[in-house]
Amino acid sequence: MDKNIFCTPNPVNDKEALDALLRDKRGQQYYDEMKRLKVDTAALQKLLNDTCRSRIRTWLEICAHCGMCADACAFYLSNDKNPEQVPSYKIQSTLGEIVRQKGNVDNAFMRYAMDVAWGKCTCCNRCSLYCPFGIDMGVLMSYLRGLLFSQGFVPWEMKIGSGMHRIFRAQMDVTVEDWVDTCEWMIEEYEDEWPNLKIPVDKKNADIMYTVNAREAKHYPDDIAEAALLFSIAGENWTVPSEGWEETSLAMFAGDWEGAQLQVKSVYDAMDRLKPKRMVVTECGHAYRATVIEGPYWAGLKSGKTPVTTLHYVEWVAEALRSGRLKIDPAKKIKEPVTYHDSCNYIRNGGLSHIGREIMSYIAEDFREMTPNGDHNFCCGGGGGLNGIGKYRQERNTGQKVKRDQILATGAKLVITPCHNCWDAIRDLEETYKIGIRWSFLKPLLLDMVIVPEHMKPKEE
Amino acid sequence: MYNLLTGPLAWISFLIFFIGILIRSSLYIKGLDSNIDRVTYRVNTLFGIKEAVRSIFFWLIPFSTRGWRTQPVMTLLFFIFHISLLASTLFLKAHNMILQERWGFCIITIPNVVSDYLTIAVIVTASILIIRRIKLPQVKILTKRSDYLILIISIAPFLTGFLAFHQFGHYTFWMLTHIISGELLLIVIPFTKLSHSFLFFLTRAQLGMDYGIKRGGMKRQKGMAW
Amino acid sequence: MFKKILFATTGTPSCDAAARVAFEMAKRYNTELFIINIFGIPSRSFSQVITDLRTGDEIDLHDDQLAKIKNKLERRYKQQIRDYNTPHEIVLTDGIPHTEILRAARKNEIDLIVMGARTSTQENTGAVNRHIVGRTLQSVARSARCPVLIIGRAAASFWGGISNIVFGTDFSKGSNQAFEFAFNLTKMFNASLHIFHAIDISSGPFEFTKNQEVIEDRIREVRGMIRKRYISKMEGYNDYEIDVWEGIPYVEIVKYARESFADLIVMAHHTKKMAPPEESVFGSNVEQVVLRSNAPVISVNHPARQKKIDNQ
Ligand code: SF4
Ligand code: SF4
Ligand code: SF4
Repeated sequence: MDKNIFCTPNPVNDKEALDALLRDKRGQQYYDEMKRLKVDTAALQKLLNDTCRSRIRTWLEICAHCGMCADACAFYLSNDKNPEQVPSYKIQSTLGEIVRQKGNVDNAFMRYAMDVAWGKCTCCNRCSLYCPFGIDMGVLMSYLRGLLFSQGFVPWEMKIGSGMHRIFRAQMDVTVEDWVDTCEWMIEEYEDEWPNLKIPVDKKNADIMYTVNAREAKHYPDDIAEAALLFSIAGENWTVPSEGWEETSLAMFAGDWEGAQLQVKSVYDAMDRLKPKRMVVTECGHAYRATVIEGPYWAGLKSGKTPVTTLHYVEWVAEALRSGRLKIDPAKKIKEPVTYHDSCNYIRNGGLSHIGREIMSYIAEDFREMTPNGDHNFCCGGGGGLNGIGKYRQERNTGQKVKRDQILATGAKLVITPCHNCWDAIRDLEETYKIGIRWSFLKPLLLDMVIVPEHMKPKEE
Repeated sequence: MYNLLTGPLAWISFLIFFIGILIRSSLYIKGLDSNIDRVTYRVNTLFGIKEAVRSIFFWLIPFSTRGWRTQPVMTLLFFIFHISLLASTLFLKAHNMILQERWGFCIITIPNVVSDYLTIAVIVTASILIIRRIKLPQVKILTKRSDYLILIISIAPFLTGFLAFHQFGHYTFWMLTHIISGELLLIVIPFTKLSHSFLFFLTRAQLGMDYGIKRGGMKRQKGMAW
Repeated sequence: MFKKILFATTGTPSCDAAARVAFEMAKRYNTELFIINIFGIPSRSFSQVITDLRTGDEIDLHDDQLAKIKNKLERRYKQQIRDYNTPHEIVLTDGIPHTEILRAARKNEIDLIVMGARTSTQENTGAVNRHIVGRTLQSVARSARCPVLIIGRAAASFWGGISNIVFGTDFSKGSNQAFEFAFNLTKMFNASLHIFHAIDISSGPFEFTKNQEVIEDRIREVRGMIRKRYISKMEGYNDYEIDVWEGIPYVEIVKYARESFADLIVMAHHTKKMAPPEESVFGSNVEQVVLRSNAPVISVNHPARQKKIDNQ
């Protein structure tokens, strides 16, 4: 029997291994190798003993098999109520089995568990609001992902993603130099129209340290410039760190807790180094979840909080609009019907539902809520890493039907999506279902509406 | 026989029941781990307690959570079943008489007809729950044989009690089976899924604390919209 | 004047005309030639699968695939590569086209970007991507720190003896840079410079369309402005003409170019970075001109790299 090269329980820790893995087109060989990946039952058992405590065991045990969680799940609804998509079933047939068997499961079982953990659940945690016992399948799935990752049963893209974080401290191959260079480039790009624009790097004791999603540096650098513009218009004393600038975490999606820890520590180190008063994270949901909500625990911070107070971008926007530091030109408010997609990761799991509404009240004349919304919103279908996993593309696409119908019911053609994942997912939704919608982050919309103070305008000749 | 069942055996089953609950509850609490669960139970505890109380409270009131509202039929079934079950057991005249006799105290009582209807309600709703298990695909797929067994264990005391009370057939036989099944129920509660009867409060509290402390509780404006 | 040329291509026939010019210029001025092809845009989140810009198909990002694309590109330009024998470097990347073109231009200190007008607006691309790629030309022309030569029609793919240069101005800041560049070229080729402005009567105040006298007053005024702003800087170079017409600017400039036998049109493309489309009147003019004119169009907007060249 050949030895596995790509598909092993070991995470990707160096560039060579990463490049090799990348060359394996769509993980063909990787998934082939997975078929003969041995389950280390002793290790699995040990991990269970160490980490599977009363919360998880009790959840698994007292589930009354009542099925009340079924309708909570976008995947269940999107798949014509296929019973195999019932949250409880998904978790009982995977994690439940592993725990009951004390880790004595075989390869085929682990691959099945992988299909469920990444192909049928975005860890949106919606079901937790519908189970009378508060059983949270999102949390359980995430735990299951950790078990699977430790044994090497993880989708190809997730293995790569976790490796990226381990190597680059970013979800993509963007180095510190690339990042800083991109900031400089953006200043040049915008200097004609915005002569005073600055992106201060590594400034100490600023009021705000701003961190982003690596995609912005890699593909959407304008996003960084837009953030810089809005900060300047609002008169903020802000900075970006040269290191520790990336706050996303594919490692979290992968269940790679070690990688997740490395990643958030880089951000917390930047906080220690630069001593900002607060941190603001860009319009990204899972990044906020990873760095602000879960991160402190990975990093072992006893307070359960980030070293300095952290705001999601929407909180900063609401604050700036509320205090009048950003002023909206009333004539330029959004006139057409517009709806707001609540991202699970900072709405249900971050408590910012009211913030989204507050912003809309300042900028939109015809704001239409989706139903349900806020804490009860449905996932866009792209969370939990599903957006990027080729193997489960179809599952993801199907899972988006609920969101599609929700959007259609509002009658709005513009969907505001202050989350990179959701933004992607809604774009893909349009690509798949062609319902004629547009989607946008807040930043470009705000820049169209905001009143620019005189000193920021270029001097006319 | 009757004396044995209502004497020492009753004692034993109650002991097992209460001690079981105590042990399982404390094991649950002891097993909570701030780091592994990623909830700082001991830091910002007040936020957690607030949401824990809300989380339990709303789920105890019919139709007060979105979950209850979206599934009205199940909600009715659920509440009729559980309320009838508890009320008919705790407030039954005969039970209270025994309490008074043996331990010298009693809880409030309700007229026998009411208990009777409540018992019927338990049996009827339980039957519907069973039919639900068989008919609804999303419940069927979850159902194991043990689920039926547990349901049967739970309603056996009601069925037998009902039969005894109305003196169908052999009274003593039904009475004895009633007591036996009742004691059996007490004994299995702490060790089976039926432990949800008390663990409900703990798991709900845990999730409440989770949302209250970690997942947005300190930023959420009006508390979780349960 | 040009040391490094960046030719942005989709590798399809719609860029062939631009390719001819790019290779011709590279040879003529003995420059380094960079050929950039943005073969796909990221569409699968963080995954390695991207969407082919032309077909909308999925492509995988890995070495073999890159080699294939490179090979295809080399085959497409085999003729030119052989004929012109220019040293060239092929840059393949995925990303948002204008972002990557601008990034490469900045990184390699490019003096001139050459692109086809339809470099990226292929019909087949999914609706979702169109709003990104449709902006490519506009965004590059607007933001590039060097002149951008845009070849719209096959007929415009000529770069040889240049004797008539049309400079279309709208008196914006960008137009000043465009003028400097146009004048330098004029001197270099010893050509005649046709300075042109079209008074826009499609969007002006109402009396414009009504009252010819108002228009003619305005024409006199504009001629004055041209003398003051441009002629004064021409150090006595006297092979020039000034013309001010009224009409829809892009139509007029195309007509004017045809009448003056223009070999090249130089304009500024000064849409604001964030301006909504209806405000970018002259900006869209550049695209309109490119699509209609038989002469190649150079858009100049920024002084940055231009200055450096002057100093040399
Ligand atoms: S966490 Fe979300 S996606 Fe996963 S089972 Fe629950 S509702 Fe479904
Ligand atoms: S709602 Fe809760 S108890 Fe009922 S099946 Fe789902 S997870 Fe189990
Ligand atoms: S992608 Fe957006 S909607 Fe979907 S799980 Fe993540 S935050 Fe939620």
